Amino acid sequence: MIHMPGLPFLASKDGATIDFSLLLIHLLMLAMLLAWGAVFVIILARFRRSRHPKAEYAGIKTRLAGWAEAGVVVAEAAMLVGISIPFWATRVNAVPGADQQPVEVRVVAQQYVWNVHYPGPDGKFGRTNALLVDDKAGNPVGLDRNDPAAKDDVIAVNQLHLPVNRPVIVHLTSKDVIHSFALPELRVKRDAIPGMTVDVPFTPTVTTAQFRNELKAEATRSYSEKPGGLADQLAAIDKRDYEIACAQMCGLAHYRMRGTLVVQTQDEFQKWLKEQSLRSSVVEETW
Amino acid sequence: MTSHSPSLPSKAERNPAAFSFRAALVSTDHKVIGILYGVTALTFLLTGFLIMMLMRWQLAYPGRALPGASALFGSNSARMPGGVMVPEFYYQLGAMHGTIMVFLAIVPLLVGAFGTYLVPLQLGAPNTAFPRLTRLGYWSYLAGGVVWLSSFALPGGAAQSGWTSYPPLSIIAGHGQTFWLIGMILIIVSSIAGAINMIVTIIQLRVIGLTYMRLPFFVWSQLVTAFLLLLAFPPLGAAGILQLMDRVVDTSFFLPSGLVVSGAALTANVGGQTIPRGGGSALLWQHLFWFLAHPEVYVLVLPAMGMVAEILANNARKPLWGYKSMVYGTIFLGVMSMLVWAHHMFLTGMGTVITAFFQATTMIVSIPSIIVLTALLASLWGGAIRFNTPMLFALAFLPMFGIGGLTGLPLGLAVTDIHLHDTYYVIDHFHYIVVCGTLSAIFGGIYYWFPKVTGRAMNERLGRIHFWSSLVLLNCIFMPMFIQGMAGVSRRLYDGGLSYAHAQPVLKLNVFITHAAFALALAQIPFIVNLLWSLRRGPRVEANPWQATTLEWAAASPPLAQGNFETPPVAHRGPCEYSVPGKDKDYTPQWEQ
Amino acid sequence: MAARWMTQVAIGLALLVCAMSCHSGETLQTKPDEPAAPFVPGSSAITGTIKYDGAVPEFLKVPIDTSAVPDCAAHRTTPLYREDLVLGEGQALANVIVHITSGLPKRAYPVPTEPVELTQAGCQYAPHVFCIRVGQPLKVLNPEPMMHNVNANGKANSPFNMSMVSSVKEKSVEFDRPEFVVPFKCDVHPWMNAYCAVMDHPFFAVTGKDGKFTIANLDAGTYDIEAWHEALGVQKAKLQVAKDETKTIDFTFTKPSK
Repeated sequence: MIHMPGLPFLASKDGATIDFSLLLIHLLMLAMLLAWGAVFVIILARFRRSRHPKAEYAGIKTRLAGWAEAGVVVAEAAMLVGISIPFWATRVNAVPGADQQPVEVRVVAQQYVWNVHYPGPDGKFGRTNALLVDDKAGNPVGLDRNDPAAKDDVIAVNQLHLPVNRPVIVHLTSKDVIHSFALPELRVKRDAIPGMTVDVPFTPTVTTAQFRNELKAEATRSYSEKPGGLADQLAAIDKRDYEIACAQMCGLAHYRMRGTLVVQTQDEFQKWLKEQSLRSSVVEETW
Repeated sequence: MTSHSPSLPSKAERNPAAFSFRAALVSTDHKVIGILYGVTALTFLLTGFLIMMLMRWQLAYPGRALPGASALFGSNSARMPGGVMVPEFYYQLGAMHGTIMVFLAIVPLLVGAFGTYLVPLQLGAPNTAFPRLTRLGYWSYLAGGVVWLSSFALPGGAAQSGWTSYPPLSIIAGHGQTFWLIGMILIIVSSIAGAINMIVTIIQLRVIGLTYMRLPFFVWSQLVTAFLLLLAFPPLGAAGILQLMDRVVDTSFFLPSGLVVSGAALTANVGGQTIPRGGGSALLWQHLFWFLAHPEVYVLVLPAMGMVAEILANNARKPLWGYKSMVYGTIFLGVMSMLVWAHHMFLTGMGTVITAFFQATTMIVSIPSIIVLTALLASLWGGAIRFNTPMLFALAFLPMFGIGGLTGLPLGLAVTDIHLHDTYYVIDHFHYIVVCGTLSAIFGGIYYWFPKVTGRAMNERLGRIHFWSSLVLLNCIFMPMFIQGMAGVSRRLYDGGLSYAHAQPVLKLNVFITHAAFALALAQIPFIVNLLWSLRRGPRVEANPWQATTLEWAAASPPLAQGNFETPPVAHRGPCEYSVPGKDKDYTPQWEQ
Repeated sequence: MAARWMTQVAIGLALLVCAMSCHSGETLQTKPDEPAAPFVPGSSAITGTIKYDGAVPEFLKVPIDTSAVPDCAAHRTTPLYREDLVLGEGQALANVIVHITSGLPKRAYPVPTEPVELTQAGCQYAPHVFCIRVGQPLKVLNPEPMMHNVNANGKANSPFNMSMVSSVKEKSVEFDRPEFVVPFKCDVHPWMNAYCAVMDHPFFAVTGKDGKFTIANLDAGTYDIEAWHEALGVQKAKLQVAKDETKTIDFTFTKPSK
C-alpha cells in the first residue's frame, strides 16, 4: 500500500484513516492538475499566434469539460459521504463508552504550558475553581484539595503520559486564551478554548520506546555510509519524544509552548501515575 | 502619495489644468481616486512585502542578528535589540503583514484602483453614481491605513494577535489592538461606501444598449464583489465595536467566565469594585470574523478573475467561452461564499451535523470555481494567442490559482483538515491563491491598462524579465511550504519550528524560502523601474492600443478629465466580439455600428 | 467645502486617538499645585526586626518540579524552592517590605539614577521582593542563554509583558506611578515570580535573612508604618519619632488562618 509522502511517523489507531484520506485527496488533486495542465500546455503550444494566426470565433464544442466537472463532483461527494462525515461522527465527535475502559485526562492549556490533570485511582476529577489557581504552588488548574475526589488527583505540567492501545479521552480546555492541542505523530489536533471543554478521543498504538526504535532503524538504513554522524543521530533519537505542539497563536512564547507525550505499556503507566500521586500528596497543603 | 506626480506631464498636456496634487486631494473623479487608490495600495503592498522580508530573515536564521538592523532600529531598540528580532515584534509584523496585505493592498488594488477606475469607463459612464462617496471611500481607507501604520510607534507596538484577532488574546493585548480595531472600522466604512457606490453605478449608469448580458465579465465580477462586501462587512463592523468595548470599557462579549491570565483572575473595575469578568463567548468572534473573512477571500479572487478574463479574450482574439455560465457561476460563487465560513473552525469542537453542513457547502463552492476556471481555459482553444506581458501574467494566473484552489480541498474536508489545520499548508494554500494568483492578475492588469491610464505603453522587455523571475521565485517560495505543512509544522512560529523535533527534517527549507523571497524583492525592481520610466518616457499610444472591444477603449488615453468620453458611446453588442467571421479586422468593438 | 470636510475627518480622528490614550491609565495625573520644598535628610530613624512565629509548612520543603521546562535544568546545580517564606537564624523573616504610608511632609525626594537590578539567573528572580522609586530605572538581567518573558501586571502602571530572548542580556524599564505592589511573572517558567513596590518616597526597606530593617533620614513626626509580606499579609503601626531618635519596632507574622 502506498502512503502519502511527507507525513510524520504515525502512532495512533485512527490516524491511518486521516493519512489514507490525505493520499486519496492528493491523488484526486494531482489527476485534476495533470489533466488540466496537459490541456493548458497543448493550448499554449498549438494556438500561439505564430502557429495559428487566425483565431476561430466559435468556441470549442466539447462535453469533456462537463464530464470532468461531473467527475470531480462525484469524487468530492464520495470523499465527503464515504469518509469524512462518518469519520467525524464515529471517531472525532463520539467518545468511547465506559465498556472500552478509556483513560480519561484533563488538559488545561495556559500561556505557555500544558497542564495535565489525572483523576487518580478513584477515577473522579476533583472540583476546580479559577480562584484557587496558583502556578508557583503547583496548582495550575485550581484544584480544590478540600474536595474528597481531589485527594488522589495528579497534576503534571507539559508531560502527558498515556498507556498504549487503550482508548484515551482528553477533556480539553484553556485557562486564558485559545490554544490548539496538536499531536502531529498521532494525527490529533483540536482547539483548547476557554469557557468550554471539548472531548478529544484517540488511541495511541506505538509506545515511545518502539517509536525511538523505529526512528533508529530508519536512521541506520539511510545513514549507513556515514558512521560518524550516525552515532550522534542515534543519541539524539534517544531523547526524541512525541510532541504536544500549540497550533494556535497564543502570545509571544507561542512558538515554544511545547509539551511531551510519553506512550508507555499499561504497567509502566500505572507505575508513573503512582509516583506522581505520592508527589502530589506532599504538595497537598497550601497557605 | 506624491509618487503619482510623475504622471503629470502626459496628463497635463492632454487635459490642461486637469491634474494636480492639490486637485487630487479634493477630487471626486473616479479616475483620480482610482489612481490614488492604486498608488497608495502599491505603497502598502511594498510595505507588507518588506515586513514579510524581516520575518523571513528570523525564520531562516532564528536568533541571528539581521545585518544593518542595528543601524536601522538602533542597537538598543525594544523591537530588534542588537539586530535580533524579539517575539513580540515578530508577532506584530505577522499580524500587520496579513492585515496590510489583505485590507490595504490587495482589496484596494482590485476594488479601489481597478474597480473605481475601470467600471465607469466600461459602462460608458462619465463618473460613478455617487462621486463624493467614492472620495469618502478613499480617504476613510487612507485614514485606516495611517492608524494601522502609526500603531507601530506605540509603546508596546502594533497589534500582535494575528490578522484574525482572536479573543481573548486580542483583548488582553496592548494598545496596538485598539488601533487595529479603529483602523478596521475605518476600512469597513470605506468598503461599504465603495460597495454601495459600485452597485448603484453598475445598475444605473450603464450606457444605452449595455444590457446585463453585454457587460464585460470584469464588471460582473465587481458587481458580485460589491454585494459580498456590502453583506459581509457589517457583521465584522459590529464585532469590531464589541471587541473595542471589551478592551476599552471592560465589557465581556468575547470573554468566558473563569479566565485566569498569567496567574491572576481577569477582573474589571466597576464603580470602585473589582468584579470578575466573564459570561461571553470566545467563539462568537470567530463566527462573526469568518462571516466576513471568507467572502473576503472571494473578494480577493473574483475581480482578479474578471481582469484575467478581459486580458485572455483580448490576447487570444476570441470571445469568452461560456460567458453566461461564467456569469451565473460567479453569482452562485458569491452566494455560496456566504455559507462556508465555519470551515475555518472545524477544530473548535464542532459536532458532526454542523461540520457535515460546512464541508458540503465548501465542496459545493469549489464547483463554480472549477467552472469559471475551465471556461477561461476553454476560451483559449482555437485562439491566436499573443504572448505579451499582460497575457503572460494572466496565463500564469490559471495554474497558480488552480494549485491554490485544489489545495483548498484537503483543508475543506474535515478529516484531512485535522492534520493540516494551522500548519504551513494553510499559509501556502491562500498565498497560492492571493499572491501567485491574484497578484499575477493585478500585475497583468497594470501592464494591460497602463496605456489607458497614462497614454503611454510600458516596456515589454522589462515586463518579461519581471514576469519570468517572479513566476519562478514565487514557486520557489511556496512549493516547499507544502512539504513543511505536510510534516505538521505549525504556522506562526517565531523560530520557524526550531523548538520542535518533528519540524527538524524540514527546517532547512526555511533558508531556501527566505533566499527566494529576497530574490523576489530584487525581481520587482524591473517592474518599479518600468512603471516610473514609462510614466515619462514610455512610447505614446492611441486610444485602443490592444485592439480591444470594451468601452473603456472608446475613450481617449487617458480619458477626458471631465466626463471620460467626447460623446457618450452606445453599446451595440457583447463585450468580447473578437474574430467575428466576415469582418475585415479581428475585433469588433462594442461601440461600433 | 472640501477643506471643511477634511477638517472634520481630522478632528474625528484626533478625538478617537484622545479617547484611547486617556484610557491607558486610571486617570491622567493632575499637576501639583505648587512645587514641593526640597528634601533635607532628617536625623530620626525607625528600625526593627521581623520574625515568623510558627512551623514551616511541609509544602515549602518540597523542591519545585522544573522538569516541565527542561532548559532550566542545565543552568541549575541546586534544587529550586518556593520563596513564599524565607527564614533566617532564629525565625527571622526575609522579604518583608516595611514602608511609611502616611505622615511624611510633601517634599521633592530626589530619585536615584542608579538602577535597581533584577536578575533571572537559574530561572529564579533575584531579588524576590524589591522596591523601586517612580522614575528609577529597573535593569532586568538575563545572564544565561535562555528565553524568558517578564510579565509585570501593574494596575496603576501600564502592564507590560516583554520577552527576553537568549541574545538579550539586559533590558531597562521604568514605572510612572506609585503602586503597591506590581507582581512579576515569567509565563515560560510558571514558577518564577517576584514582587515590586513602586514608591514615591525613599522611606522603605526590605528585610534580608536577618529580618532587620532600618528606615533612616526621617524628620521628627508621627508616622503610619506598614509591614507587608506576600503570603502572611500586612501589619500596621503608628509611632512617634523625636528628633535624633532611633525608634525600634518589631513585627511578628504568623501563619494566616484559613
